[in-house]
Amino acid sequence: MIDVELYRDLIDLISYMTTSARGLIEEPQLYGPFRLIEGVSRICGFFEKREGVDSEFLSQLRERIDQSKFSVMFDVEAFTTMLDETVLMIARQLKET
Amino acid sequence: MELKKAIMERRSIRQFTDKPVEKEKLQELLEAAIWSPTAGNIQPWVFICVTDPKMVHNIRVVSPGMLWSTSAVICICSDQQKALKAAGKGGAVFSLFDCAMAAQNILLRAFDLGLASCVIRSFNQAAVRELLDAPEYIQPELLIILGYSDQSPKPPPRNTDVLFWEAFGGVGVSK
Repeated sequence: MIDVELYRDLIDLISYMTTSARGLIEEPQLYGPFRLIEGVSRICGFFEKREGVDSEFLSQLRERIDQSKFSVMFDVEAFTTMLDETVLMIARQLKET
Repeated sequence: MELKKAIMERRSIRQFTDKPVEKEKLQELLEAAIWSPTAGNIQPWVFICVTDPKMVHNIRVVSPGMLWSTSAVICICSDQQKALKAAGKGGAVFSLFDCAMAAQNILLRAFDLGLASCVIRSFNQAAVRELLDAPEYIQPELLIILGYSDQSPKPPPRNTDVLFWEAFGGVGVSK
């Protein structure tokens, strides 16, 4: 049986990623990392409400990203720091998992 | 409101409260749009105001630049058929300029009415056209998302070294 809500959320995510891929061909270079990390935030949000995952970690990750993602528009250094910190958060999670 | 205040204090707002935009205000914005400057009075544009929550959501998911959902979106489209007929090949460029000028009218009037707004170009034009059931010659050019602000961004810096007098690089004639 199809889970309508799950399926709709998935289509939304697929749509975001596909339209991002198409748009990025002509968009500024920095939009690339932004679209990717925004995608990560959305994937976290997508799985946070599902069973069988560490939703606390996903929630922390999403909050860290959302807190600083817009710095890409005015402070690339802060944006890069956020990416570095997010990578470390994931690496630590990999060690524990 | 003084025009200078609107020009200086309007900001691109990307985060909105849940309060919906009143239809009367949206009508005001659409009226402001059609009074924009337009080359040769061609008016090569179409403005589609979307308020249906499902449609707004669908537009959002094909618009990577639209990071929050809102209660209203105005899609500014060029009418390529009208532009081509009136201005030939140059019509495509003229219609873009006209759409951009209409966008500014909408943004300033929105600020005047206490609304927050943001212009978005990062969206998939073909997908938006499909969602809006628009014909091939109607080209979505800009989305303006509208709502009530949930943030107060600081004014971003502006470069003043792009301003010249009389000629490129000119500082003007000293008196």
